[in-house]
Amino acid sequence: MSVIRLGYVHVRVTDLAQARQHYQDTLGMDAVHEEDGKVYLKSWDEDDHHSVVLEEGGVGLVKFGYKVAGEGALDAIENRVRAFGAGSERMSKGDNAGVGDGLRITLPSDHVLELYSEIDYLGTKVGKLNPDPWPRDLRGIGVPRINHALITTEDPALLERFFTDVLAFRPAERLVAGDEESDLVGSWMFCGDQPHDVAFVKGPNGKLHHFAYEIDDWSALLRAGDVMSMDDVPIDLGPARHGITRGGTIYFFDPSGNRNEVFSGGYRTGADFRPITWTMDQAARGINYTHREIDQAFLDVVT
Amino acid sequence: MPHITVLPQGLQVVAQPGESVVDALRRQGWRSRYKCRRGGCGVCKAQLVNGRVRYLQPVAESVLGTTELAAGRCLPCRAVPVTDVVVDLGAEPLRAVLTSNPVSRTTTHE
Ligand code: FES
Ligand SMILES: [Fe+2]
Repeated sequence: MSVIRLGYVHVRVTDLAQARQHYQDTLGMDAVHEEDGKVYLKSWDEDDHHSVVLEEGGVGLVKFGYKVAGEGALDAIENRVRAFGAGSERMSKGDNAGVGDGLRITLPSDHVLELYSEIDYLGTKVGKLNPDPWPRDLRGIGVPRINHALITTEDPALLERFFTDVLAFRPAERLVAGDEESDLVGSWMFCGDQPHDVAFVKGPNGKLHHFAYEIDDWSALLRAGDVMSMDDVPIDLGPARHGITRGGTIYFFDPSGNRNEVFSGGYRTGADFRPITWTMDQAARGINYTHREIDQAFLDVVT
Repeated sequence: MPHITVLPQGLQVVAQPGESVVDALRRQGWRSRYKCRRGGCGVCKAQLVNGRVRYLQPVAESVLGTTELAAGRCLPCRAVPVTDVVVDLGAEPLRAVLTSNPVSRTTTHE
């Protein structure tokens, strides 16, 4: 398995100063680099150079990056992208601050996905020698790391095939409207042993539904909700449990209206995991197991 | 202080300085159609029938385009009335809610 994890999410924000306040003071990320209208941020338990890039102007997803391990892995993926008939180009060291050479793929859903294996190592805030479990100087929620992204696509079946054939992801959970392949409404896919590293639901191409931070547990989730109330962060849904992935969740919005999530728990998957199926009549429970009801707009609202 | 008239209900509320249409309604117990309240999703988009609004934060072209703006569309979650305004929020009824706006505090994050 060559793709390790979601490495970074690069989003547009309408106002960089307000966005910084949200991602730094409310979420607790640290700015590591700045250049012409962009801020690069890292969470405290991440080793790599950055995991979020904020770019001033507009709203929504610019691109996202997954880290790849293994000699020749990028070449092999490049060949499989070509065989699939999707577009890709080589990306160069420095295209993204701190990130080495890699591959830039345009997904069948029009999203730009970057793959790389070299990235500057900055280290976590607690270090690797006899570390404390968490740093004493956390701000706000103090998110430890990013976890996954959920995007929208006109053709979920095609995108699932792409992630399976080209990137060796596997579906953990699938939301279906019927028995045909084309009835796939959403898929939650993993590359390691999480319940999902990427997910997508039916919707417009090229759009972001949310990206998520992982936090410890249910009480960390509730505490995150406290910080959101203190900082007047609009909450979309939660705290609640997902049926799909079994994780705990709060969905909320950044100051530009991009949706974020704090996510806790979830089960383990792995190479022998057999996918779980959800039918549309149970979709509300799949997304919000606690309340069993979601606004139609929850699925429609994307940036 | 600017008066906001909401169509089709004909409800009237008064906006405080710097307060958006959605925030003014919320403060006075009404939930209109919105989602992000941050100008990003376009769910609140409505017709400005009369009066002028301004935006204290930049609004993304992809959410509210120049032609839409020219046609009188607005984003009530971010639109701050400059004059008395009449806004048509569409068919979806207002819901009575009890909301608590943020306690104004000088945020001291260390
Ligand atoms: S509620 Fe999202 S743009 Fe107004
Ligand atoms: Fe999620």
